[in-house]
Amino acid sequence: MAAVSLAPPLGTAPEVAPPSVAALAQQLAELQAAVKKIETALPVDRISIVVFSATLDQQLAALTIATAAAASGMEVEMFFTFWGFSALRDAKKHAAAKPLIARLFGWMLPKGTQQLPLSQMHMAGAGSTMMRSIMKRNRVASLEELFSVAAELGVKVLACEMSMGLLGFQRQELIDYPGLSYCGAAHFITRATAGKTTLFI
Amino acid sequence: MGAKTLDARGMSCPMPIVAIAREARTLKGGEDLIVLSDDNAFPADVTAWCQKTGNKLVSIESDAGGHRAQIQKAGA
Repeated sequence: MAAVSLAPPLGTAPEVAPPSVAALAQQLAELQAAVKKIETALPVDRISIVVFSATLDQQLAALTIATAAAASGMEVEMFFTFWGFSALRDAKKHAAAKPLIARLFGWMLPKGTQQLPLSQMHMAGAGSTMMRSIMKRNRVASLEELFSVAAELGVKVLACEMSMGLLGFQRQELIDYPGLSYCGAAHFITRATAGKTTLFI
Repeated sequence: MGAKTLDARGMSCPMPIVAIAREARTLKGGEDLIVLSDDNAFPADVTAWCQKTGNKLVSIESDAGGHRAQIQKAGA
């Protein structure tokens, strides 16, 4: 058995005292705290989508990406704001008495997914009817189907309170979507910046 | 033996991936799923889905009739 020399090799600094257990324990605690800090700062695997537009094509793009992301295991949050709000209106529901401007908005804006125009080639409604029939022929899921898939996959839908107030929409006019909630820009920013990806459609 | 088959033919993006996600929930770790699709985006999408979800893409074959992917659910 070879003898093990405890003396430092020639030319090296003599005896650095081994760290005490207490010092190691403290270093470990500091490292654990640092790792925890880094972990909480890592982006969550989440995509936040601002749905701003009231057109069939843009809503389809938003819902397609949302459902694909949810099917891939990501958290998905969709923030409906301004014109995008039209997709959340339930065609069968009515609000109680509303002021004139709110009623005007209600009449002029699409009431629900079925009334959404196309952003291009709308042609007074012929375009969106044609698009729906081509989609059916190509067996592309309709916007309504995508909404129900989104609900099934746990995609969160958030309604912007400010645009709701501005356009004069009331909660009782909106679709029945599981967990539909209401929020403002600060909430959106907090969620979006803690996630990985944000889209504006 | 006897891997489950999901016939996603006739479905367009994003529905084949949605269908796989639904089906994958019913599988145990290590079990295989065969997926048939005639969507042109399918090879790229199923590859990305496996990468993102950590499941294994065992094989992907394409011919005139469409695509056939074999996926193995992650976990023993």
